[in-house]
Amino acid sequence: MSGPRRLSVPRRVAVTAGDDGSPLLVDSRTVDAVRESWLVEDRWWTERPLRRRYWEVVTTCGRDEVVFHDLVSGRWWRQR
Amino acid sequence: MFVVIVCVLLPRFQLTVAAGNRNELLQTPVALAPEPGGVQQVGEVSIAAEAFGIHPGMRLGEALARCAWLTLVPPDPAGVAESWERLLVRLESIGAAVEPERPGLVCFDACGLLRLHGTGTLASSDADRVAGVLAAARQALRMPTRFGVAPSRFAAVAAATKARVRRPLIVSGGRTQAAEFLKALPVALLRARPALAELPEALERLGIGTLGELAALTPAALADRFGTAGLIAHELANGGDGALRPRPASEFLRESLELPDAGSGIQLERGLGLLIDRLLARRERRGRTLRAVVLSAVLVEQGGTWREQVVFREALADPVRMRLALAPRLALMPAPAEELRLAVERFGPPTSDQRALLEDPAEARVARLREAIRQARAAAGPDAALRVLEVDPCSRFPERRAMLTPFEG
Repeated sequence: MSGPRRLSVPRRVAVTAGDDGSPLLVDSRTVDAVRESWLVEDRWWTERPLRRRYWEVVTTCGRDEVVFHDLVSGRWWRQR
Repeated sequence: MFVVIVCVLLPRFQLTVAAGNRNELLQTPVALAPEPGGVQQVGEVSIAAEAFGIHPGMRLGEALARCAWLTLVPPDPAGVAESWERLLVRLESIGAAVEPERPGLVCFDACGLLRLHGTGTLASSDADRVAGVLAAARQALRMPTRFGVAPSRFAAVAAATKARVRRPLIVSGGRTQAAEFLKALPVALLRARPALAELPEALERLGIGTLGELAALTPAALADRFGTAGLIAHELANGGDGALRPRPASEFLRESLELPDAGSGIQLERGLGLLIDRLLARRERRGRTLRAVVLSAVLVEQGGTWREQVVFREALADPVRMRLALAPRLALMPAPAEELRLAVERFGPPTSDQRALLEDPAEARVARLREAIRQARAAAGPDAALRVLEVDPCSRFPERRAMLTPFEG
């Protein structure tokens, strides 16, 4: 190992969202239920603020996924 | 730098040792049988067997199909190792730093020996100067041997395969002369290198039959087709090779025990305990620990021999722990034994780390853990043991909470 390595690093995921911003498809899997949603804002005092809308969802195949929408870049990420 | 590599070749060494006194057997189609529990391939074969197209490494079924009256001789790994070690020690006794490749094939650099045994002057040709070294080696070995001399190890091995017993083949000069000598030889010689064993067949299918044709190809083309093996083969065909890595000089310490009846099970374990005690009591040990040993046995009913090398996790001088490590190996023996042997292969440092009378369990656990991590890293690399380090456990962003760092035991 070259040096310390971060754990739980976000990975890109393909999400189709509805009009209200909630995920409908996560990696082509249909979302069955949204368990929880929360907003995290940090470093707003810097030039690189972090704004994320997290969604914990359950897909029809039974997977529990935590994805977030980066409100700055507009991209979707998966995080455990 | 001036380099003179001498290759000593004893053809069919393993077969000759396994055949023992039955010299007439070697005149007939005969091959070494596969080792018990091993791959079903024949070992070294006699000249008469070669005439039927049988070669070492051929599947047993195919060999028997080619020659129905092929005689199979049980392998004698312990006898081969012992005879080979004796010959290596004889070569070392003339001052040669030997690098054994396999039983029956060994190389050494003769440069350092030219002043000791060499004949002629600096102005003499290489052949004249090295003749004295070869004479000393022949006298030390006391058996018919083929010698090849060349500037590189591969060329020396190739020369030895072409040499006759009384007429060594000497390739004088440097890399260019070695490449010139190798030019007409078949690519099949590359099989001597385990890493290149598969290459000759593929080359022959492509119409490249000689090392000269191989040397004429560009390294880039060979690398594209065969990867690293292609580059190594190109280097060898051009008269190059890696430097010799002579083995460190070692001592030969062995104890053996003849078993009156064929021994197995608990009887063998008792015998093993006795051998360990006797080996540890030898004066030549001089208080040193044992790092690696070889457990071997002569099997009943001329079943050949059995040999198992055991490297201890840590250097030992404790008979109880040695017995614990060695006893399970006895179960691997394919047949009852009539003689059991235990030899030291490598010594460790002198015994110095005394154990405490009352061991602290926590400390012992830490020490065991540290040793386990060391072994895991040795086997699987530095990433084998990591730990989770909490950096900011209360962070709202999961990726900032923890990191993976090397585990320091």
